[in-house]
Amino acid sequence: MSTAKTSTPPSEDRAERGSTRRRRPRGGWRAALRRDWQLYSLAVLPLLFFVIFRYVPMIGNVIAFRRFEPGGSVLGEAWVGLRYVRMFLSDPTFWTVFTNTLVLGALTLLFCFPLPIVLALLLNEIRNRKLKRFVQSVSYLPHFLSIVIVAGVTMQLLALDGPVNQILRTMGNETIIFLQQPDWFRTIYVSSEMWQTVGWGTILYLAALTTIDDQLYEAARIDGAGRWRQTLHVTLPGILPTVVTLLILNIGTFLAVGFEKVLLLYNPLTYPTADVISTYLYRVGVVSGNFSYAAAIGLFEALIGLALVLSANVISRRTVGTSLW
Amino acid sequence: MYQVSRRQALLAIGAFTLTIAGCGSDEPEQGKDLSPNKDGAMAKYGVGDQFKATAPLTFSILYLNHPNYPLKKDWLFWSELNKRTGVTLTPTLVPLSDYEQKRSLVIGAGDAPLIIPKTYPGQEVPFVASGTILPVSDHLDLMPHFKDKVAKWNLQADVDTLRQSDGRFYLLPGLHEEIWLDYSLAVRTDILEKLGLEVPKTWEELYTVLKAMKAEYPDLYPFSDRWGIPTPGGNLLNIVGQAYGAPGGWGYLPARWDATAGKFAFTGAMDQYRQMLVYLNKLVKEKLLDPESFTQTDDAAKQKFVSGKTFVTGTNAQTLVNDYRPPMEKLNPDAKIAKIPVPTGPLGEVKYGNRLENGIMISKKALESKNFVAMMQFIDWLWYSDQGEEFAKWGVEGVTSTKDASGEFKLAPDVDFIGLNPEGKKHLQKDFGFSNGVFAYGGTTKLLESTFSEEELAFQAVMKTRKARPVEPPRPFSDEEREQASLWETPLKDYVTQMTLKFILGDRDLGEWDAYVKELEAKNMTSYMNLVNGAYERFKKEHG
Amino acid sequence: MVTLATSRGYRIFQAVNAVILTGVVVVTLYPFVNIVARSFSEESYIASGQVNLIPRGFNLTTYQIVASDPMFWTNYRNTVVYTVVATLISIVLTTCYAYVLSKKHLRGRKTLVAIALFTMFFSGGLIPNYVLVTSLGLKDSIWAIVLPNAINVFNLLVMKAFFEGLPVELEEAAAIDGLSTYGILLRIVLPLSKAVIATMVLFYAVSYWNSWFAAFLYMNESELFPVTVYLRNLIAGATTSENAGAVAGDLTQAAANIQSVTIVLTLIPILVVYPFVQRFFVSGVMLGAVKG
Repeated sequence: MSTAKTSTPPSEDRAERGSTRRRRPRGGWRAALRRDWQLYSLAVLPLLFFVIFRYVPMIGNVIAFRRFEPGGSVLGEAWVGLRYVRMFLSDPTFWTVFTNTLVLGALTLLFCFPLPIVLALLLNEIRNRKLKRFVQSVSYLPHFLSIVIVAGVTMQLLALDGPVNQILRTMGNETIIFLQQPDWFRTIYVSSEMWQTVGWGTILYLAALTTIDDQLYEAARIDGAGRWRQTLHVTLPGILPTVVTLLILNIGTFLAVGFEKVLLLYNPLTYPTADVISTYLYRVGVVSGNFSYAAAIGLFEALIGLALVLSANVISRRTVGTSLW
Repeated sequence: MYQVSRRQALLAIGAFTLTIAGCGSDEPEQGKDLSPNKDGAMAKYGVGDQFKATAPLTFSILYLNHPNYPLKKDWLFWSELNKRTGVTLTPTLVPLSDYEQKRSLVIGAGDAPLIIPKTYPGQEVPFVASGTILPVSDHLDLMPHFKDKVAKWNLQADVDTLRQSDGRFYLLPGLHEEIWLDYSLAVRTDILEKLGLEVPKTWEELYTVLKAMKAEYPDLYPFSDRWGIPTPGGNLLNIVGQAYGAPGGWGYLPARWDATAGKFAFTGAMDQYRQMLVYLNKLVKEKLLDPESFTQTDDAAKQKFVSGKTFVTGTNAQTLVNDYRPPMEKLNPDAKIAKIPVPTGPLGEVKYGNRLENGIMISKKALESKNFVAMMQFIDWLWYSDQGEEFAKWGVEGVTSTKDASGEFKLAPDVDFIGLNPEGKKHLQKDFGFSNGVFAYGGTTKLLESTFSEEELAFQAVMKTRKARPVEPPRPFSDEEREQASLWETPLKDYVTQMTLKFILGDRDLGEWDAYVKELEAKNMTSYMNLVNGAYERFKKEHG
Repeated sequence: MVTLATSRGYRIFQAVNAVILTGVVVVTLYPFVNIVARSFSEESYIASGQVNLIPRGFNLTTYQIVASDPMFWTNYRNTVVYTVVATLISIVLTTCYAYVLSKKHLRGRKTLVAIALFTMFFSGGLIPNYVLVTSLGLKDSIWAIVLPNAINVFNLLVMKAFFEGLPVELEEAAAIDGLSTYGILLRIVLPLSKAVIATMVLFYAVSYWNSWFAAFLYMNESELFPVTVYLRNLIAGATTSENAGAVAGDLTQAAANIQSVTIVLTLIPILVVYPFVQRFFVSGVMLGAVKG
């Protein structure tokens, strides 16, 4: 049984086996209810939560198609059709910030997603427990820093007389005012994001690593696998479901670029690369309280996110056999 | 005396009851009979009267909680206020850090307290259309002290700038007797002395001074400014721009009144704006002004200044005393710094400024309250009468402060406030609740200056001699226009700021100015200005 | 993990690994040491940028100022209470729902997943949420903080993935022994899921510990605020810049190291609690023993 798990059979497969052995899922809702009423009962409270606190407020999104006046009806005053959708579709600035959001989100995904896996694997190779705990604990710390501080530290490091420029100077290079260069913004943003999230990101993988059966390693060793091949054939497959789940979720939410951090790190000189949908909305919104406009863009973002997560899910089900449902 | 007749007012559905203050009165909406709303109100209440409710009253208020003097329920302020006026305020506590957000949320959700203070002119605009905010201009008859001050200090033109497209205004602004300017430059006077230089009076003189400093200390940037976040060059672009006639930074408005042309012009395309850029670009090009000035953190600028890496930086009265002097005394006891009068430019001895302070919005719900009249009288007394203003600022005679025959205030011996009485063990704000930003602002110049140091009074004396620029005419947008305008305004402003910095830092040659103006046009500058000037014309025709 | 390093290549790898991780530690730690040093330093040294890794002009004044404010402790206690209650509720609800979602044979399972997933992308705006909480009468109570965010969909799906990875054989055996679904969840599944539950506790607790927005929205009295709102306000008071002109009258500069002090004070509890949670990540789950 344990060797069978090494090859991680697609979970669909495994589940099917499980259920066939149990009872055949046959019959209509009534049969299902009779059989699994205990399971369904567990879902009642969570469902109540979703309906009350998630779905009821969602009705408010109609203001994307109705004119909303602050202080007036929560559901807006009058139908305006696609006025707000047309408004942002024909706004050239919107497309700039949309592109920036895509690029920044993709870069963050590309760099910040794999690193925690690597770090978790590296940590897993330390055999001194105390040392391992120490490194782990330290690497979580940045997660707890407020973004204001992270931005402050970043600016300090990159100032004209900051350490980075001092190194450049001693190497005989020109100094650079990093925070005023649009070309540098993405690098700066992604690096600071990496610094802040990589350690914390390892937690899930480390937890996943604990579920891998030690017997698998033993079996691999008996087969003569070295450390590297053990990692490749036992460790990685063992955490694959977690990796895929997180990847799908990250893909679905990658338009939600860190609003606060961008707001704190950018300035008008770096707008050409740094301005993202949320910061642009913030500037438009703060001036005039355009809730309807914001709601229209929010719906647009949500649709894209949903489309992304659905396609990522399909791809992953076809290729690695793991999926969200 | 001009009175709006009943018929006239009925004809105008918007019920704009515009009159000239001082010789008329803004009448309440016709047909609105306030007699059921008079519970607790004084039958006769006029200028100089102490407001005292005829029955105990309670009003809800949105309260900005300042971290330096967090609200305490046992403050003398509350008990004394109750004793004098019979009013108890029930505060909804909002931390200073996110006051604006909460305010827009509670108003937006229809859950706002009756009194909504700490609202800056312009912030009330988004709430006008939905009718949740009371058009206070309809009820000024209930506020004798407010009307008296507007008339006495000739503030009508200022107040008119608050009028919305229906001709009414929705914010009770704080009123200053005179323009009060606080922001300028801090200069190392010991370096000036050492190099035999005079305190610069104009921006051109500052240029010469900086050049002389640079000659002596070639490795340093003599000038590095703070207040670059979140508005790049917030202070510097404002004060330099004022000297040329087109303020940027904090003072940036998308459109400025051009008196000669009789219409508004787009600030970022004005020649005056270009001149300011030319000047600042010269400073950067000759390495006199730190290129980081416009985007660095305040801390960074502060560090450079107190550690002697720069000799000139932005300041106000507080930062001079709190941020710069204490660390300098420790690190470099010989250093001397002063806040110099704002340098002048081609416009000469003028000052920009606004005599309107942040003020109060009132929830429309108040109109249904049977205590509405009493509430307006109460607000009028606390925020607009001399008595109320002095009480809110200095507290209770004999307990927190004393007032001598010439009207000078002095803190009680055991009470301290902004270091005026370092021996005092108790604090006027923290322990008594006076000089609270929610209640104490505005008023006479004498009251304002009663807490100023000698040094600051000297600065103010110079600034007072300057001539104030006339107030710009109102140009309120309609609701639809505002929605459109904001979508043009933001990209335009972003582009202006971006190019401003590029021009100043030399990333773009000022020879490309005309191309830049063309780019602004591509971003709907002309349409935007048509909207602005259209709104101006319309308002002038309908309400002027 | 129990393997002894034998090959030369692996020894080299261990050395490189040590270097990399040391680098990670240094890069991560530097700002924190700096913050701690600042929190103990005198203002003039901070203002002139002279504090690096060691405090200069050592003093505890700011700590005393913050700690001597009774409101700070009231708010601190609130944070602890909110965090504990909210985490408890979140864990129960998330576990229940994730367990249900992990049962592949369950009819309507896909719909149940979709209901949760949909809310990751579509949400009501600020104002509808505020109106909802207000009309439910939750304002100024702990429930306004605890209920509206009880389930985090991200955590839910991670937990579901974990449950799916558990061997089905155990549950089947338990079912044959006559255990009900509740019994299986409590006696079989949960004991095997210590690592994931520890993770979820950590995730939820940290997010509640750091959260300030819900409290800021729904609490109108400072006695009810969590410490995050208190600190945020403190920092904002010390750094208000743009409106400084407007509020100059009521602004007296707060101590320059107040930020550092507040960060240290909020970090301490997490650092104290964390090692207890960490136990669950380090010790492997002995799946093999029960599986064979």
